[in-house]
Amino acid sequence: MGKFSKFLTVATLAAAVSVAGMATGVAIAQDYPDKPVTIVVPFPPGGSTDLLARQIADKISGPLGQPVVVENRGGAGGTVGANYVAQSTPDGYTLLMGVTGSNAISGILRDDLPYDAATDFAPVSIVVSSPLVLAVNADSDLETVEDVVAFAEANPGAFTHGSPGVGTSMHMTGEMFALESGTSLLHIPYQGSAAALQDLLGGNLVAMFGDILVLSEHFESGALRPIAVTSLERHFMLPDVPTIAESGLDGFEAVSWQGVFAPTGTPQEILDRLYAEISTAMEAEEMQAFFEDRGFLVEGRSPSDSQAFVVDQIEMWSGVVDAAGIVVE
Amino acid sequence: MTDFLANLALGVDRAFSPDALLFCFIGVSVGTLIGVLPGLGPLAAISLALPLTYYLDPTVALIMLAGIFYGTQYGGSTASILLNLPGSATAAVTCLDGYPMAQQGQAQLALFITAINSFVGASFAILLVMGFAPVIAQFALRFSAAEYFSVMLLGLIAASTLSLGSPVKGLAMVIVGLALGLVGTDVNTGMFRYTFGFFELADGLSLVAVAMGLFGVAEILSNIGKPVGKAVDVGRINLKSMLPTRAQWRQLAMPTARGSVVGSFVGALPGTGPGIAAFMAYALEKKLARDPSRFGKGAIEGISAPEAANNAAVQAAFIPTLSLGIPGDAVVALLLGAMLIHGITPGPNLITSQPDLFWGLIISFWVGNVMLLFLNIPLIGLWVRLLQIPYHLLYPAVLLLICIGVYSSNNNVFDIYIVLIFGVVGFLMRKFHYPAAPLLLGFILGPLLEEHFRRALLLSQGNPLVFFERPISAVFLVVCMVFLASAFLPRIKLFRKQPQ
Repeated sequence: MGKFSKFLTVATLAAAVSVAGMATGVAIAQDYPDKPVTIVVPFPPGGSTDLLARQIADKISGPLGQPVVVENRGGAGGTVGANYVAQSTPDGYTLLMGVTGSNAISGILRDDLPYDAATDFAPVSIVVSSPLVLAVNADSDLETVEDVVAFAEANPGAFTHGSPGVGTSMHMTGEMFALESGTSLLHIPYQGSAAALQDLLGGNLVAMFGDILVLSEHFESGALRPIAVTSLERHFMLPDVPTIAESGLDGFEAVSWQGVFAPTGTPQEILDRLYAEISTAMEAEEMQAFFEDRGFLVEGRSPSDSQAFVVDQIEMWSGVVDAAGIVVE
Repeated sequence: MTDFLANLALGVDRAFSPDALLFCFIGVSVGTLIGVLPGLGPLAAISLALPLTYYLDPTVALIMLAGIFYGTQYGGSTASILLNLPGSATAAVTCLDGYPMAQQGQAQLALFITAINSFVGASFAILLVMGFAPVIAQFALRFSAAEYFSVMLLGLIAASTLSLGSPVKGLAMVIVGLALGLVGTDVNTGMFRYTFGFFELADGLSLVAVAMGLFGVAEILSNIGKPVGKAVDVGRINLKSMLPTRAQWRQLAMPTARGSVVGSFVGALPGTGPGIAAFMAYALEKKLARDPSRFGKGAIEGISAPEAANNAAVQAAFIPTLSLGIPGDAVVALLLGAMLIHGITPGPNLITSQPDLFWGLIISFWVGNVMLLFLNIPLIGLWVRLLQIPYHLLYPAVLLLICIGVYSSNNNVFDIYIVLIFGVVGFLMRKFHYPAAPLLLGFILGPLLEEHFRRALLLSQGNPLVFFERPISAVFLVVCMVFLASAFLPRIKLFRKQPQ
């Protein structure tokens, strides 16, 4: 709890500083933008965050009247790119396409990050969220959440679940599941989710909390079986698959999210302007189709709502990290 | 069978449409160029080209991006042979014998062999993709952590044969490479190891930066102080100087075949890549050679096997990608991303749900490889003339290119410092006759060995016998032991040489 109260103090301070900064920011905000805006994607090109950023950049550059450029700065699970934006001038010209890992979990897990996810960013908008799906190999006897819990109870330490690495949302969702069901799962970290999927398909892993879009192909081919999804409501791509919450673990919810962040101190007018353009862009039919094709749930939260949401998420994951006793130097 | 022919016809139809041909040509040309330029690799090139393909038809976009990928493998060896500067990290092996050949005035021959063998290796792997992709992908699924560990161990043991001269120095360099591979985030705990507070080291040292430093910058540094002049006398450039003699063709046949097989096998395993394939093929040839001492001094087997292997690996990497949705390496992962951008989810259903895309792409591989062959052979004369540019003009340009290339892979200035540091390290290593190739292999394999070893133990709940209990893993371990035994017991080796 100490960590969280310390965070609250810092958050209040940061809010005060940003209010003070606004007075001087007004003049700048009126001309915004008068040069190209950069959205930093903290991953290599080609991933889902990159895709989303490029879609948004494409749609808002017209209304903003300036080119919006996507720049990939991958590394260390998104924290290298996030750090770059955190240290940038808060003038609205350098933005981050942040995710659950870079803007919530990483900061909880490690205290050697050069930035503070809670206080160094002013969210523009949490754009989308995506639940995960708990999947097993089709040869497995496990069919329901009850089966999974029973198996994990009967075989402590033998229930393996793969993830793309320590501190990823797939890892943390597994920890949360273990915590809420009172079982112990053995986490097997991989370098990337494809390697974990390979072992799941090969029958070397018991389960995986995976990406719905990617795993759907394997549900269809019959190689894998979905057990349950991690959102409160069923997912439109897998309407027949129950949620974990409705299968006995009341209120279970773990979703990963993606959104646009500015460095703390960015004038409120600029945040509002960007949010207005993003939410208009999100209503376009093409964007709606894009979200649907990729299994994204539309969030489109306002700056203040996003801030509250991120604070909430950090608190939630802090609870899981503390209770599960995960320590990273 | 009729299905197969119908699919083939569909693929030919797609791949020979004017737009597909045009973008295939653009892709392979860009790939060759990127490959030739030291430091610029396929990862950077495809990253840059990816957003440009948003407005193309998905199949055409993939044909172009894939063309860049395999095109770089053709170009990558050019600078290795001519200047001892690998054009891409995977072409480092080609320096070992390619550069000595160039110094002996056989640059044209070496480049010709490279082009032909690249084509043969690629063709072999494409045949596998066409005929057996789903079967091979299923076989690849039987490889889990224990199997990967045993394969990597075999690669590491083979590495001990890479060095010329003192075996102790070679072994020492393998260990230095393994140690350098420890830098970065520990996969199991997420801890930063040996990063010394440099956040940029969280993903480890960049392979491109280390390879370019050790081979490229070190080569440039060791030429400083030499008398001003040109590299070597290239002699007359004509078809006769390029073509291998009849005896050489015979000498090439088996290494090329073995290289293609090794490359296809390694390439089809997700998470390995063409670099490891080339190293393994080279080590195998050296092991099988009647006179291993010729290697490192311009043996044509020393370029033919790794060149066949890395091109086969690149094409075989499409097997797990297209039939399982699991990318073979970072570059193919990028291609997978490109498919997602175009609304295609690669997976087990791709071949049946998008036959025009799958077969169009495969047929375009043939088209692209034929284009590369006809593009690269006439270019040999041009590339060889590069050697006539005086060093004091050529090297600054190359150094600049290396820096740009290394920077472009992650948009990170830190990597430029790494390349320069490793340039100095590589220079000192040369001065004291420590070989760079074993270091590079140790560096590539070290993290993989550790990761798979620990994961195998995690999955088996700490049972070390897992490596022997799983049959495929056990087979590789037995091969490892044979390798070791033949190295330490020369009598056995002599005995094996004369089976009659």
